[in-house]
Amino acid sequence: MKFSDLLRLTFTTFEVYRMRSFLTGLGIAIGVAAVILLTSIGEGLHQYLLDEFSQFGTNVVTIQPGKAQTHGANAGIFGTIRPLTLEDADALHRVPYMEFVNPSVQGNAEVRADGKSRRSFVYGAGPDFPRAFKMKVQMGNFLPDDESARARNFVVLGQKLRQELFSNVNPLGEYVRVGGERFRVIGVMEAKGQVLGFDMDDIVYIPAARALEMFNRTGLIEININYLPSADVDKVVKSIKNILSQRHGREDFTVITQEQALEVMNSVLGVITFAVAAIGAISLLVGGVGILTIMTMAVTERTGEIGLLRALGARQHQVLILFLGEAILLSAAGGVVGLLVGMGVAQGLHLLLPSLPVQIPVFFAVLAETTAVFIGLAAGVVPARRAAIMDPVDALRTE
Amino acid sequence: MKLNDTLQFASTSLNSARSRSLLMILAMSIGVAAVVILTALGEGARLYVVNQFTSLGTNLVIAMPGRSETAGINPGMLIGQTPRELVLDDAMAILRSSAVRRIAPLAIGAALASNGALNREVTVLGSTAELLGIRHMTMAQGQFLPEGPADAATPVVVIGNKIKHELFGVGSAVGSWLRLGDRRFRVIGILASQGTAMGMNTDELVIVPVASAHMLFNTQSLLRILIEAKSREVIERARGEAEEILFKQHGGERDVTVVTQDAMVATFDRILRTLTVAVGGIAAVSLAVAGVLIMNVMLIAVSQRTQEIGLLKALGAPPAQIRRLFFAEAVLLSLVGSAVGLLLGQFGSFVIGQIYPTLPVSAPWWAIIASFSTALGTGILFSVWPARRAAELDPVLALARR
Repeated sequence: MKFSDLLRLTFTTFEVYRMRSFLTGLGIAIGVAAVILLTSIGEGLHQYLLDEFSQFGTNVVTIQPGKAQTHGANAGIFGTIRPLTLEDADALHRVPYMEFVNPSVQGNAEVRADGKSRRSFVYGAGPDFPRAFKMKVQMGNFLPDDESARARNFVVLGQKLRQELFSNVNPLGEYVRVGGERFRVIGVMEAKGQVLGFDMDDIVYIPAARALEMFNRTGLIEININYLPSADVDKVVKSIKNILSQRHGREDFTVITQEQALEVMNSVLGVITFAVAAIGAISLLVGGVGILTIMTMAVTERTGEIGLLRALGARQHQVLILFLGEAILLSAAGGVVGLLVGMGVAQGLHLLLPSLPVQIPVFFAVLAETTAVFIGLAAGVVPARRAAIMDPVDALRTE
Repeated sequence: MKLNDTLQFASTSLNSARSRSLLMILAMSIGVAAVVILTALGEGARLYVVNQFTSLGTNLVIAMPGRSETAGINPGMLIGQTPRELVLDDAMAILRSSAVRRIAPLAIGAALASNGALNREVTVLGSTAELLGIRHMTMAQGQFLPEGPADAATPVVVIGNKIKHELFGVGSAVGSWLRLGDRRFRVIGILASQGTAMGMNTDELVIVPVASAHMLFNTQSLLRILIEAKSREVIERARGEAEEILFKQHGGERDVTVVTQDAMVATFDRILRTLTVAVGGIAAVSLAVAGVLIMNVMLIAVSQRTQEIGLLKALGAPPAQIRRLFFAEAVLLSLVGSAVGLLLGQFGSFVIGQIYPTLPVSAPWWAIIASFSTALGTGILFSVWPARRAAELDPVLALARR
């Protein structure tokens, strides 16, 4: 039997049993659509988080005080016997391939101006902060490059704070009180919106040294280092460790590269997406049982036809291929329809809820379709074998 | 036809095509089992987290420095840096509330712990004697921090089980010196192994008096104040009064967040419950697929049994009767399928529970009812069309076929 004949015969069967074939394929289609839809959302979320993380630049290394242990969080940022100091940050300017070094101290304080007040996030930063984190100053300037320990009392406002405290008045040159101390406004940041649920515009930026004083801290919470994109991360990390170990006498700090942070996130999200896909694939399994049921019924119903085929000289393996082909085609077609529907629904969801990130993962699309084909194959084997080993004489007699 | 007869008829027809019926039951049961196992896992995770929280203490109220304008927590608060920090005096002042039984201030930091040549970085917790009772910790050996004024910087330390093994080996640790940073502390007790609770592993902790921790880290701020209310009923009052006291302590500035533990547990509870429902819902898609299968098979059955239906109608069976026959078949199939699925699911959850004994895996009752009724519902829903088709057959034509 030629391949084209095989196809024609199978399609004729589909034509004759239209409703039945449609419903059988539908089972697989629902399964594949579920997998595609779920993994699209999972992949979309993944991409979204990845973008959120890397919008601050990818070539960043973060140094925190305290050596991180295998389990649990690093307690070093809360307090440590040997803190990371502003001098450490200054010393890190010696790191080769270094672009920017940004010392950072975060806290929460009341910001007052003109009788209005608001509790905000206070970010003690260095002068290179906007360039290091790819943020833009809307008006005025960012904090000047003062000697780090003797930085002047200047403040840069986030967009939201500017609106809340000054509304339409030009804030440049005005004084605000941050945590009780007087600061002069020298700049306003461009609106940035929310990043991972945190409002980036509800921030005031003050020099790191002033923040240390304000929060009565001995050490920085972290130091961020941007390195040149062409540089080798390992060399940068090694040099950071050298410089700080020399200053501290031992390695009592933790260096985290952006890649390490992303790697953790990638693996977690990858596992979640895969798990969701697997749950969706249960439907595929049920669809496979459906194919098995229908094919078993079909073989019983078409005993006469099989007998005739065999009497006309069709070999056992040809009958086998005929029924197997039918099962595979059925589930493959169902799979393709499911792919289309899943992608369609995913895109539709994206249009309805633009905040829901959606991305169709090629890997899972291929995997789902391949699984569908294999399920068709597995479900077709038993009925097809039964058809193939039928005795032609008996088969013909049943009609 | 009596109900009895209907059932008998349906079961006979299911029996006569046994492999087909078995396959449909299999399809249905896979779906139900998937829903049961997955919701059991989700519920297990939820209970696990809630247990972890409650093992942290009962009737707890937590005060932390910083406050956010909009609801929610900002990173500055997590780190706990504010111009006016929480200090020991604030913690002691909270005791003025009549709803508060006891408090434990918490200061935390990292330090190098060394015993002779052995050393490692440890998390140091500064607190008072009350912490033992509030956090429900137990001692393996020796005693906990001594009672007494909280501002006494006694050089004593209580160490976690793992720290003991790493720094002291199998030898006795109680009574020896342990160096933390540049200070010496006398080991007075070893904590019983408790495992991880909310990311904090007591096995890898060393606990010193809060004043000693402040000296060690050169600070006077507290990260948290744990407040235990006198009873369940007064938790909310304790929270309110603690907030008011801290408000006065801080010169009329509201810069402290005071939350009840219940509120935190409720948040996690809600998130995990939603996740469980979502996962169960995704698994329930397979029930729809099983429903489609039932419809498909019944449609085929209708066309195969045309003659039989014709005979029934010729004998005077009204369309409603025929419909009921097919309904009965679908209901029987789904019933058996979901029963088998439930059993499978419960067995699966049991096995998972045996593999991960820490996870309290058990399918919640609502998931069992939901999966059962969804299975039954889809079975009936998808048999409507085939049953209608059978009922509308013309008896003469049906009989004449073949």
